[in-house]
Amino acid sequence: MSSKTLSAPHPLKTLLRLPFTALVAVLGFVNRLRANRAGFIGFLGLLAYFIMTFIMPHFIPFDSEVNLDEIAGPVGSRIQLAVHRDNAALRSFEDLAGKTVGVVDQTGGPSLIAPYADSITIEKYRWTSRRAGPGIRAALVDLANQEIDAMLIFSKTVEEVRADSSDPELQALFAEHVVISNSELGPPHLLGTDTQGRGIATHIVHGGRILILTAVIGGVISTLIALVVGSLSAMIGGAFDAAMTALSNLILAVPRLILLVVLAGLIRFENTLFLGLMIGLLGWPPLMRAIRAQVLSLRERDFVEAARSLGLSTYHIMFREMLPNMISYVMINFIFAITFAMYEQIALLVLGLAPIDDYTWGVMLYFGRSRGTLYNVDGASMALSPVLAIAFFQVCLVLFARALEEIFDPRLRAAV
Amino acid sequence: MTSRNADAQLDSSDVSGVAGALSTLLVKYPLHKNYYLRVFAQAILTIWAVLTVTFFLVRQMPGNPIDVLIEQILTQEGISYQEAYDRVASSFNFDPDASLFDQYLDYIGDLLRLDMGTSITSPGTRIIDEIARFLPWTLFAVGSGFLISFVLGIILGMSMAYYRDSALDHAMSLISSFFTGVPNYIWGLLIIIGPGISWNWFDVGAARGTYDPGLTPGLNAAFIGSAIEHALLPIITYVLATLGSWMLSMKSSTTGVLNDDYVNVAEARGLKDRRIITAYVGRNAMLPLFAQLSISIGFVLGSGVVIEEIFVYWGFGHYLFQAITVRDYTSVQGAVLILSSTFVFSNLFADLTYGLLDPRVRITGEK
Amino acid sequence: MFRRTLYLLMALVLCLMAFAPLQAQDETLNVAWPYQVPPTGHFNTFASNGITLGQYQDIHEPPLAVLMWATGDYAGMVAEEFGWDDDGNYVIKMVEGYSWSDGSSMTADDLMATFNVFRLRGDAVWANMTGIEKVDDSTVKFHMDSPSSLAERIILTTNLRPASVFGDIADRAAMMSPGDDGWDALLQELTEFRPEAPVSGGPYTILPDTISEANLMLELNAGGFAGDVQNYDMVRMWNGETEVVTPLVANAELHYITHGIPPTTEEDFANRGIDIVRSGMNNGPGLYVNHAVYPLNLVEVRQAIAHAIDRIQNGVVSLGDSGVAVEYMTGMSDGLSEAWLSDETLDSLNYYDYDLMKAEELLTSVGFSRNDDGIWVDDNGDTLSFELTFPQEFADWSAAAENATAQLNEFGFDISARGVQFQQHPQDIYASNFEMAIRNWGLGDPIPGRSYLQAYNRYNGQGEAAGEGGGAGMNFDNNVDFSGGMVNVFDLSNQSSQGVDKDAQAELVTQLAISYNEVLPAIPLWERYTNNALNRNFISVPDSSDSIFANFGGGADNWMTTLILSGVTAPAEM
Repeated sequence: MSSKTLSAPHPLKTLLRLPFTALVAVLGFVNRLRANRAGFIGFLGLLAYFIMTFIMPHFIPFDSEVNLDEIAGPVGSRIQLAVHRDNAALRSFEDLAGKTVGVVDQTGGPSLIAPYADSITIEKYRWTSRRAGPGIRAALVDLANQEIDAMLIFSKTVEEVRADSSDPELQALFAEHVVISNSELGPPHLLGTDTQGRGIATHIVHGGRILILTAVIGGVISTLIALVVGSLSAMIGGAFDAAMTALSNLILAVPRLILLVVLAGLIRFENTLFLGLMIGLLGWPPLMRAIRAQVLSLRERDFVEAARSLGLSTYHIMFREMLPNMISYVMINFIFAITFAMYEQIALLVLGLAPIDDYTWGVMLYFGRSRGTLYNVDGASMALSPVLAIAFFQVCLVLFARALEEIFDPRLRAAV
Repeated sequence: MTSRNADAQLDSSDVSGVAGALSTLLVKYPLHKNYYLRVFAQAILTIWAVLTVTFFLVRQMPGNPIDVLIEQILTQEGISYQEAYDRVASSFNFDPDASLFDQYLDYIGDLLRLDMGTSITSPGTRIIDEIARFLPWTLFAVGSGFLISFVLGIILGMSMAYYRDSALDHAMSLISSFFTGVPNYIWGLLIIIGPGISWNWFDVGAARGTYDPGLTPGLNAAFIGSAIEHALLPIITYVLATLGSWMLSMKSSTTGVLNDDYVNVAEARGLKDRRIITAYVGRNAMLPLFAQLSISIGFVLGSGVVIEEIFVYWGFGHYLFQAITVRDYTSVQGAVLILSSTFVFSNLFADLTYGLLDPRVRITGEK
Repeated sequence: MFRRTLYLLMALVLCLMAFAPLQAQDETLNVAWPYQVPPTGHFNTFASNGITLGQYQDIHEPPLAVLMWATGDYAGMVAEEFGWDDDGNYVIKMVEGYSWSDGSSMTADDLMATFNVFRLRGDAVWANMTGIEKVDDSTVKFHMDSPSSLAERIILTTNLRPASVFGDIADRAAMMSPGDDGWDALLQELTEFRPEAPVSGGPYTILPDTISEANLMLELNAGGFAGDVQNYDMVRMWNGETEVVTPLVANAELHYITHGIPPTTEEDFANRGIDIVRSGMNNGPGLYVNHAVYPLNLVEVRQAIAHAIDRIQNGVVSLGDSGVAVEYMTGMSDGLSEAWLSDETLDSLNYYDYDLMKAEELLTSVGFSRNDDGIWVDDNGDTLSFELTFPQEFADWSAAAENATAQLNEFGFDISARGVQFQQHPQDIYASNFEMAIRNWGLGDPIPGRSYLQAYNRYNGQGEAAGEGGGAGMNFDNNVDFSGGMVNVFDLSNQSSQGVDKDAQAELVTQLAISYNEVLPAIPLWERYTNNALNRNFISVPDSSDSIFANFGGGADNWMTTLILSGVTAPAEM
């Protein structure tokens, strides 16, 4: 109504005013959202996800440093400082000035101590194969014999070496001479390490963007198709309706598994986002049928009948009378379409049916599961972190959807 | 006014592509005037279309049954490619070079004689026997999980709508959001790892399979008890994974209906709450869910794939997945035939009974 | 009243459930191998989907002999005496006095039937066999074109099948030749043949009624081969892949698995006091390149790649202690290299140690340089950008691919890794549809020449036998010019397993090894060792230092089945 009274202003003027109008709209929306606590939490959660997956990756680099002694390490594990019992006073890098400190390559120690290379004498140990006897053990023996003064070593490794009962003599030697003087030397791995000893936390930060974009693309495409096809089918009926119903039946009735195996084999995805396109193109039928049923049902309602008897056009009836009545349903289903696209792409990844290229949460979960981390309490983080990241994302979406539903549904608003 | 619906449906099938081909015949024998016959024919056509698409699609999958078995043997046993090929090639009734179209004609011909053929990778084993072996378990486990989840979801969703904005609503939406968010295969793994292994609540080994070895399938207490016991974990998983979405859908739908005029009218008429809930709100709120339900029933058979693998509860999903993995084309076709028939006929059923639930459509039906 | 009865019943059922698994623990061996349940699975062990139980086929269809990998000698099983006669034919004399589980006695007829069915099936063993002859009730003579250690191995590792079941088809096959009328029909009859019940000649027989998705039982077959020395009444064969059996092992319901388990699971098992047994498998993942893609066809580039990847790191992150870096880089495993090559040869090899400077030198030597981003650019001005594909379902290979990519990119390559379905991936290689790929080098076989079949045959377009699979593959020219002269490496690898003169074979193997080491057609990363989980609280077998553990066994020679057949495997004393 209001747009008609605003007798078409200068296009440029509208354009200039757009950001301002948008800002006002967003602020108003957020304000209204605050009244709905769960929805607000969902909104904040989504905002946090946006910041985490779209902004933080620019500041936090992806941890690609392989640490061979801390494969699938527990949450919070960090590098410790091991010293000889006589040197228990050595606690920080400053204390170590002038001393000889042992580090084993490929364990995170060398890069941690590198900045202090001027003041500290660094004794490097080569990581040999664990079968041939690890460099860690050689370093610890040197430490026990005071050939080096201190040693940088991962917390879990210390526990492992101490618990290793295969060589009681060494165990006794370590127990007698080696102590941990500082268990918090290095930065902690907030979410533990993966099967290559890399920090999982940074992978979580980097692993969401593509997944979320793909899910949104899938959701948008399937919702748009469902909305257009569903309402047109219901309004036009006839051959179009029959054809679309048949098409949706066909898409639904051919097992998804087969379709995707074939498509993944035939099409070489240059970009993971194509997966979203595919999911969207195959995902519309359920919602389309629901919308079709909804429109058929709305068609019989009084206000539509009234509009029709007034001789209003189909276009008017659809967009002015029906759409506002379906918006809550479409909105909540749009959100569900996103969650479905998310679920679907991760299921594909987990089943090994989607091509793996980007290192996303889904790929982490897939690798984490296939590399057995779920069966190891210490290492479970590699699979559980992405699972929780995905699950909370979905929860936020659903909470947000609830809020949208209450804000946009005119009938609900009237009732409040 | 109300007959418009029926007219539209009549028109639709006359012009739709496939039926058009038969129109000359139908002019002579006006069977198409019979609504039920026509709907049934459409269903058959859909199944035929699905089978045709599947027939050609499965043969586009990378690798053929021979290649797949060769790779399997090469991975498991230390023999050369040549040896593996010699051993495998002769043990299949499968000629990768046979004309695709001839195979298709044979296949359709056999189907018309109600013969689903034999498996490629187990030459000589009839597919109908394999399906009879696997299908009942999925129908039982995933089916009952599905029903429990639907009924629970309806009840919980309605109560959420009635107690909107209460603590109960908030708690339940959080829970349902979480249930919806966590994929079903993760639920399965979590059940195995948490209660199964870490806390030792049940014997992981004994819970596997569909029933205890040594029991004779039949209507005896030991067998039925064992079957229920073994199905429990898949059922729980399935309920957990689908409950959330039913709850939310039902809540959103009920909320809409609660604001409808006729509920207010009913209230104004002084009808008892219980009657409003069941006769008015419940029935109308379930309507949008009915479309979802009919579609979901069609998915029941195929939806258990990963869960069946995780719990070693081998039903139809396992059968289909296995057939796809080893590229056993004929078995895949057999499984798809069952899947698509279930799907199409459950939809047909839903369409035909739609009127019984929606009073507005019912009037159309009665006319 | 009714309700109370119900509760009582439920309590009873629960009690029974609780006790059921405990009762069976005593004299049952719990092991695992995936199988198909009937009707998909069946008891025709010649046809696909037959319930053969992999390596455990040995305990219901006993092998003729087992190779002791540590010594290279065969230990007779069903074959009591075996060897080449003066005419170059192979003669086997079977043990006497054993019977099949259906009551028929084990004789030369069973061996005749087994090999006649092989002939019908077109098995490779018949490639150099001209005939088979029953000398007496326990002796069979295999007529050969020429003696070869490969043929000997195939014959001796055969699992014996009962003539009472397959004799009819075997006899009819013996009367015919390929191409005859009825040959194809007979072959089809064989593949569709479904014996009603399994017939075992080994110490254990499958009980058909116990086959479920979870497991099946085998009961002692006292009259069968080695049935008199067993320490178990029953064997429970659990069904399933790694994912499925892992919790069972953790829960101590399953006491020995041969499934490859990821390092993290291994760690968890170790914490539960479960032993991990390792034996070299003579194969593992390697980095294959498409030699039609410039500049991957340059030997310097492949050598630089070898120097730029820390294989120790790659092995450890992929498979923990069971991913053992390849040291000698001869195209066969380090164990085979040490067994077949002289010390001088071993010393003369290039070990391709992890050395980025050396890699840098090699690339610079062919005119490559780094661009502003530190990425290598070839002499045509193209960056070294490649796609590396890997079968994504294989957990260890995918880890190897991921890590190799990261290491090469660190060095200045621009590689993107992409996972491909495992069914699709080999097809891509056969069809040359790749730039770099992770595939396997070597073969789980003690005959060294066969290790080269992957690089020179399977992945290199010679595999015409594979029909549509036989593309150009990795486009490597098998005519190799190396310091020892010009050789066709594929012919060489075939010749090296012919004859029975070990010194002559070693000569050819040395040429193969040196040429591979110089030319590096593909880059072996690490050798896969088994990591069998063995719960010694339940199963008693010799200490890990015993030489029997050299027998990793793929389809044959497995140490566990060998120990079962020898009556060594026993319940542990609690």
